[in-house]
Amino acid sequence: MTTKQMKGFEDSYVVEGRMALPYTYFAGRVGSKFITTIRDQKKIMGVKCPTCNVVYLPPRQVCDKDFTDIRDKWVDVSNTGTVSNFTVVRYDDKHLPRKAPFVLALIKLDGADTPFMHILEECEIVEVKIGMKVEAVFAKETTNTILDIDHFKPAAERISVHEINATRKQWVPVDEPDTQGKRKGGKPDMSKPVIITAALSGAATMKNQISSVPYTPAEFAEEAYKCWKAGAAMVHVHAREDAGMATHEHARIKATYDAIKDKCPDIIICLTSAVGMGKTAEQRLSQIVAIKPEVASLNTNSMNFGIVDRKTGKVFIDYVFENTFTMVQDFGKAMEENGVKPEIECYDMGGLDNAMLIGRQGIFTDPMNFNFVWGVAGGQAFRAESFIAMMNALPAKANFTTCGVGTDQFPCIMQSCILGGHMRVGLEDNIKMPNGDLAKGSYEQVEVAVAIANNLGRPVATTDEARLIMGIKKR
Amino acid sequence: MANKIAICAVAQIKNDPNYHYLRFQNMLLECFESIMKQTKVTFDMEKGIRTIITCSDDMFDARTISNNGMTDVVGAHFRGEEKMAQESINGLGYAMACILSGHDDLILFMGHCKESQGESRRMVSNLAYDPFYCRPLGMDYHNVDAMQARAYMEKSSVTDEHLAKVVVRSRKNGKNNPYGRENKIVTEKEVLQSPMYSDPLRELYVYPVTDWAYGMLLCSEERAKEFTKNPVYITGYGSCMDTYFLGDKDITSNFSLKNASQRAYAKAGIKDPKKDIQLFELSDHAAYQLPMWAEGVGIADEGKGGKWIDDGGMDKFNVNLSGGQLNGNPLLLGGAARAIECYYHLSNQAGDRQVKGAKRAVAQANYGGAGQHQAVIVMES
Repeated sequence: MTTKQMKGFEDSYVVEGRMALPYTYFAGRVGSKFITTIRDQKKIMGVKCPTCNVVYLPPRQVCDKDFTDIRDKWVDVSNTGTVSNFTVVRYDDKHLPRKAPFVLALIKLDGADTPFMHILEECEIVEVKIGMKVEAVFAKETTNTILDIDHFKPAAERISVHEINATRKQWVPVDEPDTQGKRKGGKPDMSKPVIITAALSGAATMKNQISSVPYTPAEFAEEAYKCWKAGAAMVHVHAREDAGMATHEHARIKATYDAIKDKCPDIIICLTSAVGMGKTAEQRLSQIVAIKPEVASLNTNSMNFGIVDRKTGKVFIDYVFENTFTMVQDFGKAMEENGVKPEIECYDMGGLDNAMLIGRQGIFTDPMNFNFVWGVAGGQAFRAESFIAMMNALPAKANFTTCGVGTDQFPCIMQSCILGGHMRVGLEDNIKMPNGDLAKGSYEQVEVAVAIANNLGRPVATTDEARLIMGIKKR
Repeated sequence: MANKIAICAVAQIKNDPNYHYLRFQNMLLECFESIMKQTKVTFDMEKGIRTIITCSDDMFDARTISNNGMTDVVGAHFRGEEKMAQESINGLGYAMACILSGHDDLILFMGHCKESQGESRRMVSNLAYDPFYCRPLGMDYHNVDAMQARAYMEKSSVTDEHLAKVVVRSRKNGKNNPYGRENKIVTEKEVLQSPMYSDPLRELYVYPVTDWAYGMLLCSEERAKEFTKNPVYITGYGSCMDTYFLGDKDITSNFSLKNASQRAYAKAGIKDPKKDIQLFELSDHAAYQLPMWAEGVGIADEGKGGKWIDDGGMDKFNVNLSGGQLNGNPLLLGGAARAIECYYHLSNQAGDRQVKGAKRAVAQANYGGAGQHQAVIVMES
C-alpha cells in the first residue's frame, strides 16, 4: 500500500514494513537424525511405536496415542511410496518453494504408516492421481530441512522379475555338448536364464560402512528376501555374530541359514567355506558338512588376501588366505559327498588350473560351477581379456559366474552376462551403486543386474531354473 | 451447566476488504464506544471493568505482543489484560472460565484484525507450520484445506455444484447482514467458472481478505441486569485439538469438531442438536467446510454432506444466515463473528434475517490447517 493508492488520503502517511528476523531453530535430537540421515545417507527413517506398531513419519519422540517413548525406535522406510492426496497450488507467493502451478502431495512411503507432505514433479499435472507410485529425488545441496529430499517423482514402472517369469516358458536343459565351443566362437546361448546371486555380507563389510549389511539371522532373512524379490536366485552367506564378526559357530550359522529358509524357502543358499580371516581348515569345513547347504564356496589357491589402499598402495591388513591342494581336495570331496555343490572360486587363472588339476581325481560332478573373482587385493583386477581367457579355459559343460570388488563389480557382471555367464552382486563385494551412491542394500544391486539382463534380452533365472542349470537338487 | 455467563452487548464495525483509512485502533474504538454507550458500563475498580480480554494475531499485525498496540484504546491500562492469540471463539471460553471460576464477574472482550495489512495472508499461515518438515514446502492453510476438501468431497459426495450453491447462498445472506462484507452477488455458473486456486478449491470457494473489529461485554448471570434487559447466555463450551501432522489423522473424520461439540452439548444439556438448536453459525473458511462442519456438529449425517445440501439442510437448520466466514471475516475472528450473529438472533435484533423464536444457537470456529483445532459454544436466550 502506498499513499498514491489511497484515494482521498493522499496526504496520509503509511509505513511500509517487512518482518525479517534471522533465526536459528534446533530440530531436536530426533528431528536432527531424521534430517541428517536424509542429507548424508539419502535414506529416510521413521520411528516405530512398539505399543501400537505405527511407523511415524516425520519421526517424533513420543507416540501421542499411547505416550510410548519412541525416540530410539528407528526403522528404515522406503524412498518410494504412494500418493494419498494432493493439491495443485496455482498461486504464486513468496513462501512457496516453486513457481505455480506445482503439486503438493501427501505421500505414504512404503514402510511408513503416516503419509507426509512433499512436492511432486517431473510429471504432467493432469497425470497426478491418488494411488500413483512415487520415489524421492534427493537434493544436490543441503538446506538441512525436509527439502534435502528435493521432490518426489513418479516411480519408474517396474514389472517384477517374478511377474515376467510367470508369463514365460520355463527353461529346459538341452543336451548340448558344444556349449563351450559356441562360447568360444562368440555365440553364447542368450536364451539361457542368467542366475543372479547376492553376496549379502562377506566377512569384512561392516555396518559403519553401510547399515543394511546384515548381522543377525533376522537381518539376513530380510535382506535375502529383498534380493529374492528383486530377482536373485541364490544368496551367498558369511554368518556374523551380533557385533558383526564373521563366525564359524555352527549354531549361529544354522540359525542364519534357517532364518533365510523360513523367510524365503525357495532361494538357494551358498555358504562360505572361507568364513573369515584366521579360521582353521576344520572350522571352515565342518560347518558345511554339518549344515549341508545346496551350494558352498570352494577356494582354489593360497594367496595374499589383504586390505590395501587402492590409491597409495599402503598395506592396512596383510593376510595370506590358505587353500593348499590338500585343502582344495578335502573340501571338494566333502562337499560332493554331502550333496553340496561347490562353487569354485577362481581369483586368477592359476586357481582355475588348480581346480582342474585336483579335479583329475574325479572329485567334481558335472556341471562344474566357477566364479571368476576380480579385484581382491592379492588376486587379479578385472580385465576383459583376462575374463575371456578364463572363460575359454573352462571344461565343456561348466557354468561360470563372476563378481568384482568395488568398482569392478558392475563391469565384470555385465561382461559375464554378455558372454552367457551369470552374475553375482552384493554388499560383500561392493557397497555402492553404479553412480557412486551407497546402495540401499544388496537388493538394489540385484536390480541393476536384472536391468543388465533385461537390456541383453536374457531371462532372469528362477530358483528352479538356477538349480537345473547348476545341477543341484532342492533340499 | 449449573452456572452460565451473560453476553450483555456486542458491537462491531462492518466487515471490509480494506480499511486503508482506519487504523485498527480506530476500528476498535468504534466498537468500544458502542459497548460503553449500550451498557453504561464503567471502569470503576469496584463495580466496573477490571479485566479485558483481547484477541489479535502477531503475524497479521506484524508485531509481537500485538495487543500492546491497543491496550489504551480498550481501557486496559492499569487493569488485567490478557490476549487470546488463538481463534476468537476461545476468548469466549476463556471469559467464561474467568467468570465461572470467580476470578472476575465482568469482562470486556475485544478483537481486531486487518488482514489487508499483510501482503499475503497465505504467508502468515505458512508461518504457523514448523520450519523443518512443513514450512519449507510452502504449506499454508489454503493448500492444506485443499487436501481436506479433496478427501471430504470424495467421502461425502460433495460436488462442485454443491459448493457453488454454498457460495451463492453465502453472498446472498451476506447482503442481508448490515455488517457483512460487500461482495458481488454471483451465480452458480460464475462460481464454477472461477479459476482453480488450489485444486479442488476454486478462487470463489475461499473466504476473501477482510478487515474487522468487534467488542463484547460479558458478565456473571447475576450482574447481567445492570447492563442489559436482554442478555444472551453462554451455556456450553467445548474445544479439541487434533494432531498436528496431516498424515497422522483422517482429515475427513471431523474428530476434533465432534469432540468439541459433544463437550459443549453435554454442558448445555443438548441431546439432539437437530431439534434442540434453532440456529447454527459455522466457520466455513472455504465452501466445502460448511457441509463438513454440519456433519461435525451433528446436523448432517456422516458422509452425507452432499445429500444434506440437496435436501435443503442449510436453510432447514438456519445455517450461516450472516453469510458465514465465507462471505468475509478475518481468519482469526470468525468465531466471534459467529457468536455475534447468534447473539442478534437470540436477543431478537437480527432484523430481516431474524429466526423467529430462536432460543438456542451454536457458534463454531476452527483454526489451523484442515480444521485442526475446533471450538463450539452453545448460546441461549
